[in-house]
Amino acid sequence: MAQDAIVADKLAYWFGDLVAVDHISFSVAKGEILGFLGPNGAGKTTTVKMLTGQLKPKDGKAILLGMDVPENIEHVQSEIGVCFEDTNLYQRMSAVENLNLFARLFNVKSFDAYALLKRVGLAEREKDRVENYSKGMKQRLMVARSLVSQPQILFLDEPTTGLDPTSSEAIRNIILEERKRGATIFLTTHDMMEADKLSDRVAFMNQGKIVALDKPLNLKQKYGKRALKARVSGKSGTLESREIVLDTPQTPGDLQNLFEKENVVTIHSEEATLEDIFIKITGRGLTE
Amino acid sequence: MNFGVIKALVVKDFALFFRNRFYTFITILGVITYLTIYFVMPSSVDEKLELGLHAPVMPPVFEIIQQEEGLEFVLYDSKEALKDAVTDGTHEAGVALQVDIMEKFASGLKPFVTLYFSTDAPDELKDIVEALIIELSYLQTGQALGIEVSAKILGPDLLGEQIPIRDRMRLMLAIMLIMFEMMGLASLISEEVEQDTIRALLVTPMSVRDFFTAKLIMGVSLAFVQGALFMAIVGGLNSQPLIVLTALLLGSALFTGSGFLIASLAKDMLTSMGWGITLLLIYSIPAFGVIFPGTVTGWAKAIPTYYLTNTIHQASNLNAGWGDIWTDLLILLAFILVIVWGGIMALRRKFR
Repeated sequence: MAQDAIVADKLAYWFGDLVAVDHISFSVAKGEILGFLGPNGAGKTTTVKMLTGQLKPKDGKAILLGMDVPENIEHVQSEIGVCFEDTNLYQRMSAVENLNLFARLFNVKSFDAYALLKRVGLAEREKDRVENYSKGMKQRLMVARSLVSQPQILFLDEPTTGLDPTSSEAIRNIILEERKRGATIFLTTHDMMEADKLSDRVAFMNQGKIVALDKPLNLKQKYGKRALKARVSGKSGTLESREIVLDTPQTPGDLQNLFEKENVVTIHSEEATLEDIFIKITGRGLTE
Repeated sequence: MNFGVIKALVVKDFALFFRNRFYTFITILGVITYLTIYFVMPSSVDEKLELGLHAPVMPPVFEIIQQEEGLEFVLYDSKEALKDAVTDGTHEAGVALQVDIMEKFASGLKPFVTLYFSTDAPDELKDIVEALIIELSYLQTGQALGIEVSAKILGPDLLGEQIPIRDRMRLMLAIMLIMFEMMGLASLISEEVEQDTIRALLVTPMSVRDFFTAKLIMGVSLAFVQGALFMAIVGGLNSQPLIVLTALLLGSALFTGSGFLIASLAKDMLTSMGWGITLLLIYSIPAFGVIFPGTVTGWAKAIPTYYLTNTIHQASNLNAGWGDIWTDLLILLAFILVIVWGGIMALRRKFR
């Protein structure tokens, strides 16, 4: 069996009496994309900080590529790339200078900043100071910076938040390219569609605990409600909605009645979203 | 320690420092201003001692002594006029003789002489004038006058070995120049925390030790080069250059450590400036003591820069050797270790 890229073993962290991360355990296989979901204050950031060596776990173990993180901090950090949610670039330096600095910190030989900037669509503004970039450009540069060392593990924290659709799509494509390269990706996001589209598996975190961890499809099957949504023409000519829940003994009869008694205009199947499932499991929304 | 990482950080810090227009401007302006101040200050010392004198009868020796270089009496008609001249600062000291002075000299009695000093007259001047009157009485009669005298040793400055004011000031100018870099460094670190770039650095193979080493190298070299350059231009390295350069190097380390402390307290460039100016004023106090001897007392020894200013003053102005200043350098080093360590600890807490 291939070694997991990320292992959290009863990982815990607390601030005084507040337990931020409550002995969570999970693993991420090499080359896998794990969507890490949860509302603000759920403990996602603290978990990422422990996995990336920014915080020393109070209990349990954080293991990356078979190495205990706090004990092999410099070695571990030479194998990871981190893209933060908030922009933390050197504003008075150009994109090339920002990337070259990190290439030197990672001791990357013969680094081609221009090629990387081209990949994220910033090649034409390579020498402009970052302070003159738009938010989308800065975010693309942040992603580029996390790729400087061609890391084995990528931690991406809300990489597309607040971006226009084009920039978001560009970043999603890069994530998929990185997976193709063999990188393991730990994706923290609020965007359910994005998580659903990109992740091999998703983990739901709530109040410091992982409350669900599985493939999106499995979660939908396990927790979601499958249904048919129909639009019918009412007596007065207005459109009305009808819902037929699937997988129940009444389903065939309800379906037959719909077509016999109603004038069906449109009909389509509906499956639960990850957001629905999260609410169902935790009783709270992801954006709360 | 990773030297490649440290080099990359130092290069980055220098680039960011000089791209901050304010600090670049302040650095260049500082060098030009302090050099200008130094060169417009008088390079020689006025060694003439001017005293007010009320003498209803002028003893011959007072007239003779005036012809000697270095002493001049300005006569006043009345004691009141003399007192007014001393009070309004025309003279730092005045001498009032009595009408019967010559009779008393002749009869072997001790005449009474009143000395007036302005409130800000240094102790050395009081000693000089008292000694002068005693000397004059001996010259006139061969016996002592009936005035209170104290047997204080006169300071070297007023015994014909005065140091020009600009050479006294040179030290303060150099220290203020390199202290400005303390604020620049603090601002650079605050910015690193404020813009969260420190977090981006801390998830790379860079260690916290690499980070602080780079900041130390940057801060010390920036301050030291400016201080050394300034001292070289204004002739501060003409006497005991090795001692002066060693003291400047230690001073640069002291201000870099202080920059760490300021950065741990500051939230942005403005608060860095606020804390920096506060510390700058405190750190400048011992240098004022060099410019105005007698104004700074023993408590100044609690200020780390006392040992820096004293070393540079002793070496560059009084040609003191290693044997004279090694204790000062040792105490300065102890202050540096405490301040740099304290600054690093305080900043590390901020990084979490």
